[in-house]
Parts: sequence; structure tokens; C-alpha cells
Amino acid sequence: MALSEKDVRGIAEYAKIALTDDELTEMTAYMNNAVSILEPILQYDLPDVEPTFHPIGSLSNVMGDDGLEPARDLPLDVALENAGSARDRYFRVPSILGEGESE
Amino acid sequence: MALNIDSLTASQIASGIAAGDFTATEVAHASLDAIEARDGAVKAFLQVSPELALDAAAHIDAARAAGEALPPLAGVPLAIKDNMNLVGTRTTCASRMLENYESVYTATCVERMLQAGCLPMGKANMDEFAFGSSTESSAFHRTNNPWDTERVPGGSSGGSAAAVAAGEVALSLGSDTGGSIRQPASLCGVVGLKPTYGAVSRYGVVAFGSSLDQVGPFGRTVEDVALAMNALVGAGHDPYDCTSQDCPVDFLEHLEDSIEGKRVGIIPSFMEAEGLTLEVKQAVERAAHELEAQGAKLVEVDLPHLDAAIAAYYVIGPAEAFSNLARFDGIRYGYQEEGCANLTDQSSLSRAHGFGAEAKRRQMLGAYLLSSGVYDKYYYAAQKARTLITQDYNRAYEQVDTILMPASPRTAFKFGEISDPTQMYLSDLYTISINICGNGGISVPLGLGGDTHLPVSAQLVGPAFKDRQLLTFARALERGIAGGMSVAPDFAGKGGEL
Repeated sequence: MALSEKDVRGIAEYAKIALTDDELTEMTAYMNNAVSILEPILQYDLPDVEPTFHPIGSLSNVMGDDGLEPARDLPLDVALENAGSARDRYFRVPSILGEGESE
Repeated sequence: MALNIDSLTASQIASGIAAGDFTATEVAHASLDAIEARDGAVKAFLQVSPELALDAAAHIDAARAAGEALPPLAGVPLAIKDNMNLVGTRTTCASRMLENYESVYTATCVERMLQAGCLPMGKANMDEFAFGSSTESSAFHRTNNPWDTERVPGGSSGGSAAAVAAGEVALSLGSDTGGSIRQPASLCGVVGLKPTYGAVSRYGVVAFGSSLDQVGPFGRTVEDVALAMNALVGAGHDPYDCTSQDCPVDFLEHLEDSIEGKRVGIIPSFMEAEGLTLEVKQAVERAAHELEAQGAKLVEVDLPHLDAAIAAYYVIGPAEAFSNLARFDGIRYGYQEEGCANLTDQSSLSRAHGFGAEAKRRQMLGAYLLSSGVYDKYYYAAQKARTLITQDYNRAYEQVDTILMPASPRTAFKFGEISDPTQMYLSDLYTISINICGNGGISVPLGLGGDTHLPVSAQLVGPAFKDRQLLTFARALERGIAGGMSVAPDFAGKGGEL
């Protein structure tokens, strides 16, 4: 079933990528084309085949010691230097809800 | 006649410095001079870092003056793909999103090349966030193929390949998620190795597809690529990357071994695939005959599930890219839209205006594929196809030591020639399945094609963590056909006098 512009608008909201109306039309065409290329994969949903999520099967997560590693800590000024907006010791963001003041 | 930097391999540069024929500082100046003279036309670099290069060179020269032993790549000019962090440079991923991002730490792969003595000449252009096969999706500028500047260098590591092909540097680093080292190496006529997944640390490399990405080197000779691999894996496991495996071997040790008695697989369906040009096919056949002439036995192998590789890749890759690029929210780093009323608007507009078209397309596709009701159908099927493709390769490696195939179905194409993004995805027909199963692959230049007179190559692929053996086969081809290093003729000797 083809994706509609409404579907693609919903995906864009989920992906947090604002699209203009023109971009939405182009993106919808692209998505439908791309998904049609992916169709052959559906025949591989085979009940007797285990999925491989990763090339290294035995991989496990790495847990660090619960302590400080001063040598690896980013100094505060370095941690903030790439932020679009910072004040004092903090990253600065607009209000989380609604149309409030961006301060 | 004065010596030009581009006539020397990495190995010759390091030994020349050790012998006192020239200094590391002279090499750094020669490389900077070559970049100055050539990169206006090639545009391989996004940033050149003369201070870092000259500082590293001064350390090498001081070490030599003090009588200290020099590291194996002492004074070798290196270009670094701009998705790898290096303190003192920006790491932009060729994206407006990271246009002003200053590296706050150095990637392990870069650090290890610098510890081995390389001079960091600068950061190389790429497709934005590595999404592409032509470097045309860079937000800043295109990179021109040194063999024909009206054509693409391939991608996504197009700048890294072009810098080596133009003789601006002897070595470069790239990353390969679906062919991003091997395809540009093929189009630019240089050697490019994608090591086995996990061989090289990815700490400090901006992630695209976490189960697919791998860092590897470009060079003009197989020996130079072997030297780079020694630097990249010599220190073993990197504790900062859980996928990094402990596999320190000497990549030079068996480089000159005979391949007599070895078995080389050929996949007949690959040699008849739609889109494979005659000149590339003939080059790969010539490579097969050369390996046979050196005593290898050619064996036909059948990998019945390879047809699923492109579809599996374009499920897994975008899904992982969407997850990885979710971190770019315009808050802690990256482009930030100003004047937004709330946080959601700030994120959505920062991402809309920071990312280019292909980066948005891939993330949108990934978001769709991971959405409820779709995920079960596509994502699981793709991972099951990955199991079958991996099993196919493993069965083939019971019969053969390596498999020979094209790296790219064609030589370098013109800018804008492939405008449909889904057609561009087919450029990686021969490389993608290797990332799916995590094995190693190398693109070896085989001279110029009979029709386009542009570089053609063959790809050799092998079992996991047998990358050293791949280099032995690659060296056999180089010895027999390519005859070693080659700088694109329009740029050879321009600037860069030592």
C-alpha cells in the first residue's frame, strides 16, 4: 500500500524533521520508490531462520566502573563550546511545552 | 631533477626520513605545497591543517635528532575523512549540521595513525554523514576525480580517495558502511581496504550504521595499506569501542607470499549482473587469469541469497542511521535554529535546516522502517537475510580462500549523471554484501579501462579476520598487473617538490 502525504507527514513528525509542502511531495515520491525497492526482502521473513543483528555474535555491553575518570572528563567549557546556546554552566533551550518565552 | 612527494610511497617517505635523505618538516611542506597546487582543481579537502602537520613533523625531526627510533610511518602525510574526530580540527561530516563543530577528543583510529608517525594534513570531503556513492551530497562542495575532474570520485569517502590519487598525501583514512572505501578506491585508481568489522576501533568516528561501519585505509600501494593496518590494529583492542577485537597481526609478514595452490572463488552470477560494464568485467577476468597464472586455482562458487543484499542493506542501514542521527537535536552541538517557541520546534527545524536532502531521506526511510507494524515485516526479514548471506559466504570459504569480483560495476560517472537516489544505491551492488556479513574486502587498481580510459579495479573479499591474506592476494595482482603506485597524470608532479 502506497504511503500518502499524510502518512509521510506523520513519519516526519516522529523523525523530528520539519518538511515544507514541496519537500513533503518529493519525500512521499522517494519513500514509495524506496519501499518498493525493499519489497524483495519480505520473502525472507522465514520462520526457520534466526535473525543476525550484528556481525559479532558474542558481543556484550561494556560496563564501566562506577567512578570518575578525570582523564576522560570533558572540562565544562569544552563540553559547552559546541552548544548553539549556553548560559553559565548549562545548555540553554526554549520552553519544552507550548508557545512560551524562549528564555 | 628534484624529487616530488607524489613519487614516494609511505614506506619510502618513512625510510627516507630515517636515513636523513629529507626531514619530516620538508615532507610536510612538500605535501602542503602539493595540496596548494592541486586541490583547487580536486577539492579533496574540507580543511587543511598546516599547524598540526608541521607540529607533528617537528616532533619527528626532533626525535631523529635525539637519536630516538622513529615510528614506522614517521613523516607520512595523511588525510582523514571528516567523520573522524581530531582535536584542533572541526569534524563536520560534510554537513551544515556540524559545520562549526570543534572536535573535543581524537578518534582512536586517528590517534593510532599519529602515534605511528603520520602527519595530519587535514580533513577530507565526503558524502554528508557518509550517505552516498559520489561525494555529491557534501554540503560544502563537490570533490573532482583526479583522473577526470568532470567526474565523481565515488563515495562516500571520495575526498580520502581523491587526495591519494592526486598525490597530495600518501595515505588516507576512510570509513565503509556499504562500499564507501572500496567504491571510491575503484573510481580513483587507488588501493582501499575495508577490514573485517571490529578490526579497527570506531571510537571517535561519527556513527552511521553501527552494525555495518568499519574504518580502513587508502594508499597507492598494497604495502602502504599494510603499513597503515599495522598502525590501526597493532595496539589491539580499544577499550572505548565494544566492537573492537583484539587481532594484532603483522600485515607485512606474508605480503610477498606466493599464492600458488590457493583457491580463488568466482561468483558467475556477479559476472553477468545487469549494470556491469564490459571494461570492468574484462578487467576482473584479467585479474582472474593473473591469479591463475601465479598458481591459484579458480573455483566457481554459488551464493544463492546475494540478491537480497541491497534490500537488506537499505533496511538495516537507514534504520541504524535514523537511530544514530537522532542525537542531532540542536542542543548540545550541531546547527541550532534560533527563535523557536518550544523545544520540539527547535529540534524539528534544526534538523530540517541542518541536514541535507539525502540525510533527511535516509532518516525518514529509517523512521518508517522502525515504526510500529512495519518494523516486524522489514527489519526482521532483513536480519534473517543477513543470516542467510553470511551462511552463503561461510560455505563458500569452505571451498575457497578468497572471492574475486568487481568493486564497482563501472568506472567514474559524470556529476549529476545519476540523479535518482534509488539508482545511486545500485552503485554498491558488489560491496554491500560484505558489510552485511562483516567480512573484509579490498579494491585493487588494475590500470585503465579499455572504453572510458578511467581506472578499473577488482575486489577481493575473504573470511572474517583474514584481512592479511586479502593483502597477499592484492599484492599478487599488483605485482602482476597494476605494477604499483599511480598518481593521476594531470596532477603528478604539480607542486610538492621535496
